[in-house]
Amino acid sequence: MDWVSQQLQILVEILKFLAPAVPATIEVTLLSFLLALILGMLVSILRISRFAPLRWLTKAYVDVIRGVPLLVQIFFIYFGLGRVLNLDRFLAGVIAIGVCYSAYLAEIIRAGIQSVSRGQYEAALSLGMTFPQTMRHVIFPQALRVIIPPTANEFIASLKDSSLVSIIGLRELTRAGREYYSQYFVDFQTWLVVGLIYLALTLSLARLVAWLEKKYKVLGYEAAH
Amino acid sequence: MIVQAKEVVKKFGHLRAVDSVTCAVEKGEVIVILGPSGSGKSTFLRCLNGLEKIDSGEIIIDGIKLDHDKSAIHQVRQKIGIVFQQFNLFPHLCVSDNLTLAQSVVLGREKKHAEEIAQDYLGKVGLKEKNKNFPAQLSGGQQQRVAIARALCLNPQIMLFDEPTSALDPEMIGEVLEVMKNLAKEGMTMLVVTHELGFASEVANRIIFMDQGKIVEEGEAAEILRNPRQERTKLFLSKVLR
Repeated sequence: MDWVSQQLQILVEILKFLAPAVPATIEVTLLSFLLALILGMLVSILRISRFAPLRWLTKAYVDVIRGVPLLVQIFFIYFGLGRVLNLDRFLAGVIAIGVCYSAYLAEIIRAGIQSVSRGQYEAALSLGMTFPQTMRHVIFPQALRVIIPPTANEFIASLKDSSLVSIIGLRELTRAGREYYSQYFVDFQTWLVVGLIYLALTLSLARLVAWLEKKYKVLGYEAAH
Repeated sequence: MIVQAKEVVKKFGHLRAVDSVTCAVEKGEVIVILGPSGSGKSTFLRCLNGLEKIDSGEIIIDGIKLDHDKSAIHQVRQKIGIVFQQFNLFPHLCVSDNLTLAQSVVLGREKKHAEEIAQDYLGKVGLKEKNKNFPAQLSGGQQQRVAIARALCLNPQIMLFDEPTSALDPEMIGEVLEVMKNLAKEGMTMLVVTHELGFASEVANRIIFMDQGKIVEEGEAAEILRNPRQERTKLFLSKVLR
């Protein structure tokens, strides 16, 4: 009994130590994903541009970024670009994750847009709508149906990948775990708590996403079944 | 002349899908375009509202020359309604929103006014009570009637029909043809690509028979159906009527 309560006490202490670092994890995740969404949208639209050099350029962007490990990109942006532009750890971390995920999101958004049939463009254009009006009112709302589920996956993955910025000394959850470990040399319990906190965060995110999907579900598809 | 096409050529690679087609349509005429599949009849129809860019020749719709100028295409599309084989309703919008979207976005009509017009035309195609349904909840025939109503909401002067009944179950063809017949009676200028010879003989003023991108024969509907002069037309009709 003594052992159990002792262990519980250790766990609570670890939790107390780690708690202040949780907001940083959430901030890095939210900001970098916002950046990824904006960049990804932009890249996806250029990716299907009628102007070939823009297509090649954005294809190269996606290929390069998807082909290099995120950890290496973080090093590059913090130690390489960061030196030149004088980026702090937080900004460098957000940019690295944001840029990396923008490449994945660009592909997801592009696939979503291309999943809408040609007939939908033709119908909208024939009704006298301009191309931007067609995209906004007809194509994009239908593409969202395809875009939302994999985007939610990426969102959850980006939360887990935010742990990688601990390597450049940004004090988020994983970094705090390492600090606790190097002070008290408690390994098993420390990483157990770190893992459980990540799990709690990702599970709540998954619930949030499910709720959003339900709230903003695209009508007209389930109707027939 | 509301439609004038002069020596229109549309190529897909080396294939001359539409090969020097010349035709003129008077206001109020109903023209049925017949021909085997791959004869270029649908492609020609799509050229008329700029969905296909022509390689040479000239198309003039109600005085506006359809060239590569974007604003000309835009103007022409407002005069022409088109109904597709696959209906192409917007699946994410209810029937009413399908009918009001272009009215508000293109014509800038107020929502309430647009909805009244939508209800009017839904009534005309016999689907007033379906305005809050989604396309997927409707039968093919109902969807196609909604598609016709959607085009009519923008007050087109010409209606193009690209095989409007080819994707329908046989028992639904009648309801769509009925709507088209009423439209013809009201004096709408119509160009119809179809295999429905019954519709052609009953409603069409003129029939154009196409094969391999060219007009093989054209003339008064009854005449073409009863006494086709060209061998190709005879062969086609004998196969279709069989």
